[in-house]
Amino acid sequence: MPTTVTSVTSPPHLPRAHAPARREQAFSFLWFACALMAVVTVGFILASLVIEGLPAFNDTGVLRFVLGDTWNPTFDPPSYGILPLLAGTLLVTLGAMAISVPLSLGAAIYLAELAPARVREVVRPAVELLAGIPSVVYGFFGLVVLVEWLRVTLSVPSGESVLAGSILLGIMSLPTILSVSEDALFAVGRDLREGSLALGATRWQTISQVVVPAALPGISAAVILGMGRAIGETMAVLMVTGNAAVIPEPLFNILSPVRTLTGTLGIEMGEVAIGSPHYHALFAVATVLLAVTLVVNLGATALLSRLNAAAAGRSMSSTPGRLVASLFSTRVLLGLAAGIVALVAGSTWGLIPALGVLSVSAVLSVATGRLSRRQSEAIAFALFRVAVVVVLLALALILFDIVSKGLPAISWEFLAGTPKDLGRGGGIFPAIFGTLCLVAGSIAFALPIGVGAAIHLVEYRSEGRVTRAIRSGVDLLNGTPSIVFGLFGFSFLVLHLNLGVSMLAGQLTLGLMVLPTIIRTAEEALRNVPQSLREGSLALGATRWQTISRVVLPTAAAGIVTGTILSIGRAAGETAPILFTAVVFSQRQLPGSLFEPVMALPYHLFVLSTTVPGSDLNRYGTALVLILVVCGIYAVAIAVRNRFSTTMRL
Amino acid sequence: MTPSDSDSTGAVLETDGLDLWYGSQQALRSVTFAVPALQVTALIGPSGCGKSTLLRCFNRMNDLVEGCRVEGRIEYRGDEIHRPGFDVVDLRRRIGMVFQKPNPFPMSIYDNVAYGPRVHGETDRDRLNECVERSLRQAALWDEVQDRLGDSALGLSGGQQQRLCIARTLAVEPDVILMDEPCSALDPIATAKIEDLIDALKQRYTVIIVTHNMQQAARVSDWTGFMYLGRLVEFGRTSQVFEAPHEELTERYITGRFG
Repeated sequence: MPTTVTSVTSPPHLPRAHAPARREQAFSFLWFACALMAVVTVGFILASLVIEGLPAFNDTGVLRFVLGDTWNPTFDPPSYGILPLLAGTLLVTLGAMAISVPLSLGAAIYLAELAPARVREVVRPAVELLAGIPSVVYGFFGLVVLVEWLRVTLSVPSGESVLAGSILLGIMSLPTILSVSEDALFAVGRDLREGSLALGATRWQTISQVVVPAALPGISAAVILGMGRAIGETMAVLMVTGNAAVIPEPLFNILSPVRTLTGTLGIEMGEVAIGSPHYHALFAVATVLLAVTLVVNLGATALLSRLNAAAAGRSMSSTPGRLVASLFSTRVLLGLAAGIVALVAGSTWGLIPALGVLSVSAVLSVATGRLSRRQSEAIAFALFRVAVVVVLLALALILFDIVSKGLPAISWEFLAGTPKDLGRGGGIFPAIFGTLCLVAGSIAFALPIGVGAAIHLVEYRSEGRVTRAIRSGVDLLNGTPSIVFGLFGFSFLVLHLNLGVSMLAGQLTLGLMVLPTIIRTAEEALRNVPQSLREGSLALGATRWQTISRVVLPTAAAGIVTGTILSIGRAAGETAPILFTAVVFSQRQLPGSLFEPVMALPYHLFVLSTTVPGSDLNRYGTALVLILVVCGIYAVAIAVRNRFSTTMRL
Repeated sequence: MTPSDSDSTGAVLETDGLDLWYGSQQALRSVTFAVPALQVTALIGPSGCGKSTLLRCFNRMNDLVEGCRVEGRIEYRGDEIHRPGFDVVDLRRRIGMVFQKPNPFPMSIYDNVAYGPRVHGETDRDRLNECVERSLRQAALWDEVQDRLGDSALGLSGGQQQRLCIARTLAVEPDVILMDEPCSALDPIATAKIEDLIDALKQRYTVIIVTHNMQQAARVSDWTGFMYLGRLVEFGRTSQVFEAPHEELTERYITGRFG
């Protein structure tokens, strides 16, 4: 057949895509510039903190500043010693980790390995909800419910204590640790699980010996992220720890009030005279806070890269993995669970029940040595189920309290009116509007830059010094506490750039704060796109940017949207970064331009619950609306993600 | 050339009227046959014919696939493996499996091989060492890795990784070894090594191998089953199936005149 012959000898001519080289270069440069933003921002933050804090270090002396045991800046003569603040931060963080790491790892393992699909579908949104509850709402709940409960149950004069802060921070860091480690567990190849099961290992052996060690880098990252959140958390801690700048006597007296580094900044920054020694001292505190988080993060990064090298590497032995596998035994799990139960029992009912629990668990843990592997599997799995139930209970408790007491406050007047009588009456419309504006602005600023930076890091990386600098910049930015962004926004955007306390300053500050979250999740989503897809596209003659925009980004869209969800939730609920940059407590009219200050829901709730007595109903109402706004944003985003993941997932 | 041959050697695994569905899609249709002991049995057939699915029935690996449903009998040494209370973990210890893609754990070479004995409770250092060496020798890998047992297994070549996975399987001293296209990701030299290995293994183990490659089936197996669209079309001595197939479908497949 002649037609066949012609089609073979001269294939249909495909038009060549016209000269893409220049456009390719422009895109490449654009993404590089985005990625550079992260480094530049870190530079600015560091510089502004150090410059403003330097006078305080000079006056007091670094050593006396860090190790001084009295913080009393308003006394005459003032004393600036932050040891009590450091102790407060350390105790609250450790307490929070002791509560949340076992709970969230247990729940993560249950969800990733054991849960039937239907249970997973219920629990996962619940955890996302837990992550979406703004810190100021946690603080509010802590103040009116948790602190009160502790005071009555333990019959102490005040429940504002290390314990209250730890419990609250523990719950708050749960979702981070849980979801990140669940992802890490999920990412462990099915072939490894099958390989282990095919050798006759039990599921628990497979999980503890193969899956968890293989997911270890991700799990450590999860714990560190959670810890970072705990160290840097301001509002919730400030509202429940009592804020007495004392070192607890003895150090492990978890019922003593403390004041954290972040709490100090949140309380004192608003009232300090600009340029005074106290002002500089606060920046010095922020510098120390940043240094602490830097050390944590650098240590974590170093650990992670070593583990990654071990997992992928040629010559490294797998000691860390083995170590974890051996640590991660049923006996250790039981011990941990018993420790927590004993702690709770001890603080609630006194010493004797605590000792009882401890001795029972000691007997149990000796007994585990004799358990068959089937029995230890059953015990371990039961503990994981308990962890999930505890997580769900915490969520239910918080939601029930706020919804049941907040609903009576909701009315048309409340939603659409302006506040009256210092927020005791009237509505909160300006605050709702302000929060939406702040979130929209910050995401509009951070999303393009964040995704661009991620594209640079994943698709154009040539692992050189610059990329490494960018990566550490993102890491540092990610570990930076939100209150530090607030201070930076205040000194740089509000004062130096003369934006004033304005919506724009707040949007930029919030945008910078969520930038690393977006970069990281987008990076991960891009990395999860199989290399074979890129190669498939490139092999068809597509350019790099064509491949990225048509194959890689659509495939990664679900992951990127997830990152954005997290960011939006955070931006909507954050108080600390806008505390000094964007908000006012009461406003008659809506802001007319980006350069006017706004009201915001989280700040409104904060002021109502800490300084306006007699506003109970409106507090609960505001908390409920804030949760609803955040959840509304989430619901939309989750719906978008689910659509993406059904149409785009492989 | 008759079923009595398989009776004389004794059957390790037997299926009777085995049906399997993935959701609403039926992947196996009434498969009935017996796997002779201490022989190599090959399962051949075009892609999607159900040969890997059948293989994964023997150690109940299909339990891990959501929506998978099995009907009919599978007996391992006379014991129905789907009966309530059957110990599937123990079944998998006795019936080892080598996967299509090498899947070494992200641990050292030593730990990979020692993994199985360890999960079965072996803690004695000397016995572990001895077991690791013996397994690696049996898998013809010892000479290549004896100086670097502490190195990550992920640094080995594909063929070495696959032999490591075989060594890992041997270390738990199974009764049957299932191999799911073990050479499909390997080059010809590595393939030749694995084939030699399979030949040596049948001294002590019953081997069932799924393969795409008819020459490979002809080279390594004593018995061959030809599968098509979820049915076991023909099962018999390899020489008979390849030289004088009873079924026309088999002949057309063997001679490459398929479809």
